[in-house]
Amino acid sequence: MLNSLLWTPLLAGLIGLALPKRWVGTWSVAAAATTLGLAIGLLLDGSYGSDALNYVVDESWIPDLGVRYSLGVDGLSIGLVVLTAAIWLATVTWSALHPPRGGDDAPASARNPALYFAMLGIGETATLGAFLAQDLLLFVAFFDLMLIPFYFLVGIWGQGERRAATIKMIIYTLVGSLLMLVGAIATAVMAADGGTVSFAIADLREHLLGESSQKWIFALFALAFLVKMPAVLVHGWMPDAYRSCPLPVLALLSGVLSKVAAYGFLRWAFSLFPDAAIDFQLVIMLIALGSIIYGSAMAFTQTNVRLIAGFSSVAQMGFITLGIFSMRIDGIDGAVLQMINHGIVAAAAFFVIAALYARFGTEDLTEMGGMASKAPFFAVAFMIITLATLAMPGSANFIGEFYILSGAFQSKLAIAVIASGGVALAAFYALRMYQRSIHNRLPEGATSRELDLREAAVIVPLVLLIIGCGLVPNKILARTEAGSSASVSALVSQCREHGAAPTECAAEYGLLGPTNREGGFEPSESDGGAGNPTE
Amino acid sequence: MSATTYGWLILAAPLAGSITIGAGWRKLSPQAAGILGVGAIAVSFLSALGALWALLDVPVEERQMVDSLYTYADLGGIKIDLSILVDPLAVFMALTVSGVSMLIHLYSLAYMRSDEGYRRFFAYLNFFVFSMLLLILAGNFVLLIVGWAFVGYASYALISFWYRRNTATAAGMKAFVINVVGDIGLVLAAILLLRELGSVDYLTVFDRAPQHFAVNQPTAIAICLLICVGAFAKSAQLPFHTWLADAMEGPTPVSALIHAATMVTAGVYLIARAHPLFELAPTAADIAAFVGLTTLIFAGTVALVVTDLKRIIAYSTMSQIGYMIMGVSIGAYGAGMFHLMTHAFFKALLFMAAGSIIAAMASRQNIDRMSGFARAMPFTSGLLVVGSLALAGFPPFSGFFSKDEILVFAAERGGMYWIFAIGGYVGAFLTAFYSFRIVFRVCFGDPCEEAEELIRTGLPAHGPPENPVSGEPEDVAVGFPGADHHIAEKNWEMKLAMGTLGVLALLGGLIQIPGVSHLLESFFDGSFGDSKLYTTVQVPTGTAWAGLLIGALTSLLAISLAHHLYISDRSLLARIRAESSQIHDFLAAKWYFDELLDLLIYRPLTAVGRFFDGFAERWVVGGVVGGTVAVVRRFGSLTRTAQSGYLRFYAAVLSTGTVGLGLYFLIASS
Repeated sequence: MLNSLLWTPLLAGLIGLALPKRWVGTWSVAAAATTLGLAIGLLLDGSYGSDALNYVVDESWIPDLGVRYSLGVDGLSIGLVVLTAAIWLATVTWSALHPPRGGDDAPASARNPALYFAMLGIGETATLGAFLAQDLLLFVAFFDLMLIPFYFLVGIWGQGERRAATIKMIIYTLVGSLLMLVGAIATAVMAADGGTVSFAIADLREHLLGESSQKWIFALFALAFLVKMPAVLVHGWMPDAYRSCPLPVLALLSGVLSKVAAYGFLRWAFSLFPDAAIDFQLVIMLIALGSIIYGSAMAFTQTNVRLIAGFSSVAQMGFITLGIFSMRIDGIDGAVLQMINHGIVAAAAFFVIAALYARFGTEDLTEMGGMASKAPFFAVAFMIITLATLAMPGSANFIGEFYILSGAFQSKLAIAVIASGGVALAAFYALRMYQRSIHNRLPEGATSRELDLREAAVIVPLVLLIIGCGLVPNKILARTEAGSSASVSALVSQCREHGAAPTECAAEYGLLGPTNREGGFEPSESDGGAGNPTE
Repeated sequence: MSATTYGWLILAAPLAGSITIGAGWRKLSPQAAGILGVGAIAVSFLSALGALWALLDVPVEERQMVDSLYTYADLGGIKIDLSILVDPLAVFMALTVSGVSMLIHLYSLAYMRSDEGYRRFFAYLNFFVFSMLLLILAGNFVLLIVGWAFVGYASYALISFWYRRNTATAAGMKAFVINVVGDIGLVLAAILLLRELGSVDYLTVFDRAPQHFAVNQPTAIAICLLICVGAFAKSAQLPFHTWLADAMEGPTPVSALIHAATMVTAGVYLIARAHPLFELAPTAADIAAFVGLTTLIFAGTVALVVTDLKRIIAYSTMSQIGYMIMGVSIGAYGAGMFHLMTHAFFKALLFMAAGSIIAAMASRQNIDRMSGFARAMPFTSGLLVVGSLALAGFPPFSGFFSKDEILVFAAERGGMYWIFAIGGYVGAFLTAFYSFRIVFRVCFGDPCEEAEELIRTGLPAHGPPENPVSGEPEDVAVGFPGADHHIAEKNWEMKLAMGTLGVLALLGGLIQIPGVSHLLESFFDGSFGDSKLYTTVQVPTGTAWAGLLIGALTSLLAISLAHHLYISDRSLLARIRAESSQIHDFLAAKWYFDELLDLLIYRPLTAVGRFFDGFAERWVVGGVVGGTVAVVRRFGSLTRTAQSGYLRFYAAVLSTGTVGLGLYFLIASS
């Protein structure tokens, strides 16, 4: 089951290379839809009430190195797997309906759509692989493989200074990836301690490294993840890459790829380096806070709509990181929910930007305005996306942010209070982009035009998804909770070495969830009884 | 049907109305959309009556009913349900809101008739009413926040309804962002409650709080102050008030509905709702009361000098909400809610009258240009006077009874609470003065040019509409009352809505007369019966009548002074203004609050943004890798022979370098 999910996009992409040009688009959409169907099948069919893995595939791969081809899916990853498949379908559909052409100086290969769709297929397989991998080296391999198709997608179909952009992107992410590779090898070698080397997560969990080794290896992993997100200070590749990247591809970069990094913290860094994670908690939370403030402040000074969305993404990833490193069940589960929400919203925002570009012929916010008059459905769709971006109560993003703040509040009060200011900044930059493109006067030469069917085919389902998640966020929370609490217990059990008893130590670091809170509330029998206020 | 079934119905009707009009606007004629809009609110109002009926049917101690639709979020064993709480407070609010909304919808039917965005207007307006009712009926803090934020959004959408006006969209944005700040306060309060009490459900929280918190425990104070941030932002209290005056950019029915009668009173409702928490944190309650007092005086002084008709009424709204906030903070819950209701009647009426007059003035809003409308528009002028008398607290109009009830409660509580009573009467003097400043300016005197034309031709004067603030011509293509928009006193819908509100503004106070009737008081027992303050502070009938007497005299005095200055001796007014020009300028600049907030918040933020964009992005972020690239490039240019493939070369150098570095650490540490 997982094999067919994982390899369908890649295979379909390769087959597409052999097909006649005019069929490629339809073929790719069908393949992406099949992948999404398989992912939804996993969601409906699997059981995510406990932290056990579903559909485990475990084959020997490179026995000499102890690398196994080991896949599985649990509550932590299932939502992200479905998200990946869904956003990829959106991007493939958009690209099939608006064939990519590349910039004016695009190379000849830019006119071959099959190549473009093959790259998208490879990218999807790599991303799904990173979410499904249960072997450290396999994860690193997929994580690195993700880079390659995006290098070509930006390099061939990008616009403007695409060459400089790809170089910067490659250097940043390659440094991160290679450091992580070194860290992964070191982890396995040191954990084996002269015995048989294994990269399987279960084996590595049994032989955790000493605290000092954990620390520097954690730092290598953290750097790779923070670059990928990107987080503040290591986001230098983002502005250039976002300026050049084709918009539908950007939906993937911002919506899905950034989530792999956040997921990496939960799945790998927390389970393999728990001591180090606890030691680095404050540092990473401060970086997350920096991302929130820096991203927000940048987002409301930029005039290029791509960069507004890009820096907004930096700020949102800051919130997600904050939730993860609150190391509490509410913060982590909120963060997992928020990864899914933000994936949908960020992708939708880039399709809206593509639609705005098609109408104004510019990406400069100061040259836009007044689109609403003849395009009410466009205005409403964009409004809903904007409100979800700023985590309007009523959207699932609000529930995600609520739990993230709740987690952060209880582990690091001051950071949470400052971070909550980021919510107000988000309201400002998100609404500013809406208002200056949809409201006010229409610039000379522009005409107001409603979403056409080709645009609506992608944007409308995403908007419906946003509304659906907003109505029943618990459908997601219920599936991710067990996975999140497993991440917390991985940390709590390890907390022993830091203090006398695990619970005491965990309480000191604020690691526990609301249920097992020390001195917590004992719900009495009469509680929750509706309609008896006299109690 | 049970009270909760009616509760769901109250919510369902306007939501369905909004969606139907919004989704089906192409198919619906404007008339159908309007009728649908009014009808939805009427259903809501009837359901609220049904809920009242069902609630009165059960004993007082059972008048708090919760009903849950489904689990909204469930984490770590703490459930947050999509639930409503129907109790006397909620039903009272629902009745007031849906009733006044219904009349304002009716008024809008005619007022917005020639607007291009007619259907859009009703879709928004119904959505607003749904959000407001959700806020009122929510059974827990999270759902309250949802309603709270929806209301903020609806307000944004309606302020920037004429979205080609840059001033309107800017005002909408300001309102939205300040409201989000309030939302954050509420979110943090809810998180604290979740942490301390393990629940966000009203009844559970109020049940557990007294055992968990000692009186004035810092956490309890923090929770209440955070709730206050939410309440002040929504209710335009200091220092979060600046958005309300700008919100007058929206169509006048919006000002009447959202920015006078309903939304801005949400903060009052919230404090009354959370009263068990505030009674555990008396310090926070006192702070809230002081903010209310300060706002009521501040806004009253600004209303003395502002010349824009709608803005005077807006500042008056802030001031009146100051009374209510003060009332519910000192424990006069019933009185605060009573004033909320009467205020909704007379303030909506004042805005409607102002809307008619502004339409007759071709959108000009400066009261210095208006005069003589008593002859030109007798019906409107008459109701403007009724509304002003109620606002001024003149006996026996509704505001007379409700305002005094708050003030005598403060006096009866004694001690430092005397300040609130005295300050309240000072505010009452200001109120009566500025409300009759409007009346004497607008209705009396020789008819101005526009009023003259109205008397002569029967049609209000109209040129092409222009922005009253910036003077730009309006873009009528996307929805703005065009040149042939004649609404002054011509439509039965407007007359019916204004007439009904006039009657309510006149008689609404009679449901609660000291020593005669106490309908509200006893009805609220189901919600406030658990409160110590509410049950122990009993105002004797004699004191209450003494308070009423003082109120009546204050009002009379202020009205006569206004008459003297604006009618009898206008040269005196000019002399006063000339001699105290500095004070006048200070008040006219609204105490420089906008400038202060701009200086303290907006400018530093944009400066930081520019610093990040310029310096940090270029030197710090760029430097980290820019430096690396430069080094590699120099190294590359030395060794490279072929121009192509330099990227591969970078990659090779980098990978060798990093792997080598990693291995070094690996060896060094093991």
